[in-house]
Amino acid sequence: MTTIKPTLDDSGVMDFVASGYVLLEGVIDEAFNHRCNALDGGNVDAFIASDEFTQTVLLHPQIAGVARSLLGEDFLVPAGGHHHLFEQPHMGQTWHSDGLSGSGYDVTELQCYYYPHAVEIEDGPTMILPGSHCRAVDREAIAHYGDIMGQMSLTVPAGTVVMTRYGIWHKAGPKTNNRRRGMLKFSYHRQAAPQRDWCIDTPEIPAYVDRPRLAYVSEVESYRDRVRRMRTWNWLCGLDMEVALRWEKSRPVSQLIGENER
Amino acid sequence: MNAAIGEWLEASRQKLQAGSLTTEDLDRLTDLVKEPRQLVLYLYSKSSNMRSPLASWMLYDARQPQEPTLPSQQPPYGSVLAAVADGWRIVQFPDTKLYAYQGVDNDYLSFEFILEKMV
Repeated sequence: MTTIKPTLDDSGVMDFVASGYVLLEGVIDEAFNHRCNALDGGNVDAFIASDEFTQTVLLHPQIAGVARSLLGEDFLVPAGGHHHLFEQPHMGQTWHSDGLSGSGYDVTELQCYYYPHAVEIEDGPTMILPGSHCRAVDREAIAHYGDIMGQMSLTVPAGTVVMTRYGIWHKAGPKTNNRRRGMLKFSYHRQAAPQRDWCIDTPEIPAYVDRPRLAYVSEVESYRDRVRRMRTWNWLCGLDMEVALRWEKSRPVSQLIGENER
Repeated sequence: MNAAIGEWLEASRQKLQAGSLTTEDLDRLTDLVKEPRQLVLYLYSKSSNMRSPLASWMLYDARQPQEPTLPSQQPPYGSVLAAVADGWRIVQFPDTKLYAYQGVDNDYLSFEFILEKMV
């Protein structure tokens, strides 16, 4: 039986904790990308669940390796999904999130975007806002937002897969041409309790090393982001910050009284 | 009477007598009698200070066809104050009570200024 090997190291996981996405450019080969040419928009459960898609995309060593790194052993592999297909020019979707990953600090779902064709800026690429995956909002209440500093248009080569923490703000960008732009969306889920079982060199769990402040984030928001990221990092490592703090602020009774007095 | 229309009438009487009134003059009158339209500009500032740099922006212009325009990372102004200097009027200031420092959770974009311009 083939084992799915994790591909991210500590630094890669920390990057994901901060940004909320992993970008795998051009990992799916051209022959399979062409297989998506005739795919209609809408529900594509059967195609996603097919053996060909499962073997070529879902269990691809790089893609499944990220899922293994972030969701632990025996993660759930998608058996369905949606084909977002745009052909005519349009204004673009409005910014929205699809929800939060788990209860907020944890990582329980990776929502993935697979692009069978190269995407240029005029094609209306998916746009994501790095770091927004922790911002719990009413998805309709951010619909009036326009350009945001640090937003990312996913102009990518064919065969690219982007794996996002569920909850990242995203939208289809404005499309100014008539070229077909498709994206298959599907999600992996966690089953295992979190532990630091990705690619590691030493057994000691390193402290979270924060990433640079994102362009749209204010000073005070960056403090909050840092705390959120530390909590998510600790959670992924199998640590619980509340429990850790309790230990830090407490002493065992054996240190205060003799062993035989207990 | 609108002062600009008064000035147009005065000038046009003279042009009419001189025989120099043109269709361009009538087009100008058309512009003058149009009801002004409201432009709405959302600016998200990095702080409640109007001189702070911007995090996000969105212009709603009902006069223009609603057509796709490519995304940009170039804000229309460097700050809310720079927009005011360009004739925009602020119709909503951020309510600082919405930004109490509590918890560790960020949510919406901060410091929402809404501005208008009548054109």
